[in-house]
Amino acid sequence: MSFARYLGIRIFNALLVLIFVTFVVSILFVKVAEDDAKTRIAEVINNEARNPAILRLKASDPEAFEKWKSNREEQLRREFELDKPFWERVISKTKNTLLLKFGNARSPVFGEIKVSKIIEKAIPRTVLLFTTAQIIITFIGLLLGIKAAQKAGKFVDKLLSVLAMLTASLPMWWVGMVFILAFSFQLGIFPASSLPNPNLEGFAYYKDLLWRMVLPLITVVFVSFGGWAYTTRNIMISTMHEDFITVARAKGVPENRVIYGHALKAASPPIVTNVIIGLLGSLGGAIITEAVFNWPGMGRLYWVALQQSEVNLLMGVTYVTVALFLASMIIADVIYGYLDPRVRVGR
Amino acid sequence: MRLEDVVDSAKDFLHEFRYQKGGILGFILLLLLILAAVFAPNITSPDVPERWSKEFWVENPPNVPPTWINYFSSKKLAPHEILSLDDMQVEKLDGGGVLLRIVYTNTYDVPPKDIILQGFNVSSSDARNKPLMTITLKRPDGSEVVLLEDRRVSSNTVIQIATNTEVRKNVFEWAKKVSGAKLSPSEEIKLQALMDTMKILFGKADENIFEGTSPLHGDYVFEVKITYQDGDNSLDLSNLTAIFSGRTYGLMGTDSKGRDIWAGLVWGTRVSLSVGIAVAVLSVLIGIVYGVASAYFGGWKDEVLQRFNEFMFSMPVLPILILLGAYLGHVALSQIVLLLVLFGWVGVAKVARSMALQIKEQTFVEAARALGAGSGRVVFKHIMPQIMPYAFSQMALSVPYAVMTEAALSFLGIGDPTAVTWGQMLYDAQNAGATINGYWWWVIPPGLAIALVGLAFVLIGVALDRILNPRMRTL
Repeated sequence: MSFARYLGIRIFNALLVLIFVTFVVSILFVKVAEDDAKTRIAEVINNEARNPAILRLKASDPEAFEKWKSNREEQLRREFELDKPFWERVISKTKNTLLLKFGNARSPVFGEIKVSKIIEKAIPRTVLLFTTAQIIITFIGLLLGIKAAQKAGKFVDKLLSVLAMLTASLPMWWVGMVFILAFSFQLGIFPASSLPNPNLEGFAYYKDLLWRMVLPLITVVFVSFGGWAYTTRNIMISTMHEDFITVARAKGVPENRVIYGHALKAASPPIVTNVIIGLLGSLGGAIITEAVFNWPGMGRLYWVALQQSEVNLLMGVTYVTVALFLASMIIADVIYGYLDPRVRVGR
Repeated sequence: MRLEDVVDSAKDFLHEFRYQKGGILGFILLLLLILAAVFAPNITSPDVPERWSKEFWVENPPNVPPTWINYFSSKKLAPHEILSLDDMQVEKLDGGGVLLRIVYTNTYDVPPKDIILQGFNVSSSDARNKPLMTITLKRPDGSEVVLLEDRRVSSNTVIQIATNTEVRKNVFEWAKKVSGAKLSPSEEIKLQALMDTMKILFGKADENIFEGTSPLHGDYVFEVKITYQDGDNSLDLSNLTAIFSGRTYGLMGTDSKGRDIWAGLVWGTRVSLSVGIAVAVLSVLIGIVYGVASAYFGGWKDEVLQRFNEFMFSMPVLPILILLGAYLGHVALSQIVLLLVLFGWVGVAKVARSMALQIKEQTFVEAARALGAGSGRVVFKHIMPQIMPYAFSQMALSVPYAVMTEAALSFLGIGDPTAVTWGQMLYDAQNAGATINGYWWWVIPPGLAIALVGLAFVLIGVALDRILNPRMRTL
């Protein structure tokens, strides 16, 4: 199978998943929105029935009042699109979502009311935090992992595996809470909320943003680097047992070149894939961590949408998250196939 | 497999397991957790789950740290104490009535928050002629303070010394006299409203009694005199309790509703372990059956099963769980288990398929087929036993994932609100601003408990992996 064809199938598969997820989520939310709309219609009618003119009508001519009520109800049902059948609404919702028409939120978030605008503001912030974190994690992880692989079975190696198991058992968001408790309130070093000051502009704004990013960044790195270093170590160890390394050593290639040149190069495909999978994971795990830190990214949007039951926002954020997730899976596949030609042939 | 084989392989396994220090540590941790889960009613009290979701635990002080912090701080805080009638001296009075003596030894720098007297059981024929109560405090320095004079007592009487207006007035007058301070009327009103009754009662009687006096240590005797005419009333004091509402409480302190965090932690192990283990076992079993079936059938069936597997693999789990949770409102624990299983089997199925593909091609399987073994027999007698070791380590390794996801969902407020879970505790902590207020005893223990369960199973899983699947290390 040629790589292009393989890629084509992957993309087709991803699109199918995207459409299906959007469809299922639409079913859920059309149902939620329906119940929502019904209570709102009842509220509107109750409000209007308190109008003196209507009250008079109710007293003098109950029949006319009933007629007014049913008319008004009909009108409002049309306004909220409840007159259309359920499946038609689901399909139009799916279509709109797939075309990025998410509609409006009920109350503004990040100073915007349009869901697509809100998400546009949130994505770069999530990427800023988690990509920076991932780069730092990769860097530390590589250094530690290679060191541990070189000294497999020695103290450094054992320490690393203990650290990896410990940190892998910690929920990231809880570590965030503890760090806020310790560094913000007991020691007063970092701000407790990462929501940037909206009154600042230009350079001062970015400085503030970066300063507020430090604590979430430390949290993400702290929780993830151990497990990452351990993965790198395992990959490196299995690579260093391969024949070409022995040959290189026998030829008298300097040890540093053997490790950083030969072994690392050979081990890079799984490492790179792991980096990308780590990025994917951080998008999901970020939801609660961002909520804890008030970091104004996609995760916090999820939190806000949940707390305020913003149906449109929830729908939009989910769609974008799923799409990003699928896209990065494909990118991971492409890079993996590029780095390791065996994959292309193998499948 | 014959019985002796099973016993032999179990022996081999145990022999090897002894060399896995991490595995043994994990096993000990797990044993402790299981003990906590099983004996939760004995360790704490059996009514914790029903009481947990109720609004307030009135008999406990809210937001106080654990008692053991006294070992680490220079200021000793009064612990929570509940005295029953047995701890008091009771004396019958001649004219009808009783005199109770409650002795409280104060060795603390910060006195109790409040003293609550409750549980008077009065039945009276004449409602206007109920028993009269007078409370006097005899302090270690010899002075006497009349806290309450001739108060009528009925069955629902609850005396809160720190906030009772009459007590506050009496204490204020007494303190004014000892301090000898000349106060303007506006100062008087302000002081009377703001003063800490308990700090004054348990403080040295000198001129700065109003401005943070130093504590007076020693025996304090509360004399509660209740007088009544025997004919009109009868008084049953067997339920009487005096609660010295503490500045510290128990092993782990309390949360903002006065709930005992230690009790929550202990009961939380039940949910955590049962959800974790149920999810792990179910999803790994489903994954293995799915993977083996896919490999065994082959052809278009394999293709279809693999497409579906890839499809499930592409789902971002947490957002979808959150959406489903938001849709269902609050998710019961059984539903959480179901949801986690729904997404948990995917990875296992992939590995199980690749393993089964290899095993399928081996000669003993072919031989079995040639001898006329049916599909069921081949799958369950020949392929499954080869994959089971992998399954065991996978089960152990997927418990932490399930525990953490349950906690995460609870933390987002879509968990089961009636269950005592660690995630729910952290959710409450976050909502009450526990981090902002520095209530570390409310934030740190539940997370550590989650981490402990995770660690126990990771350690066991890794040890199992090393022994059972030396060629396929996952971590």
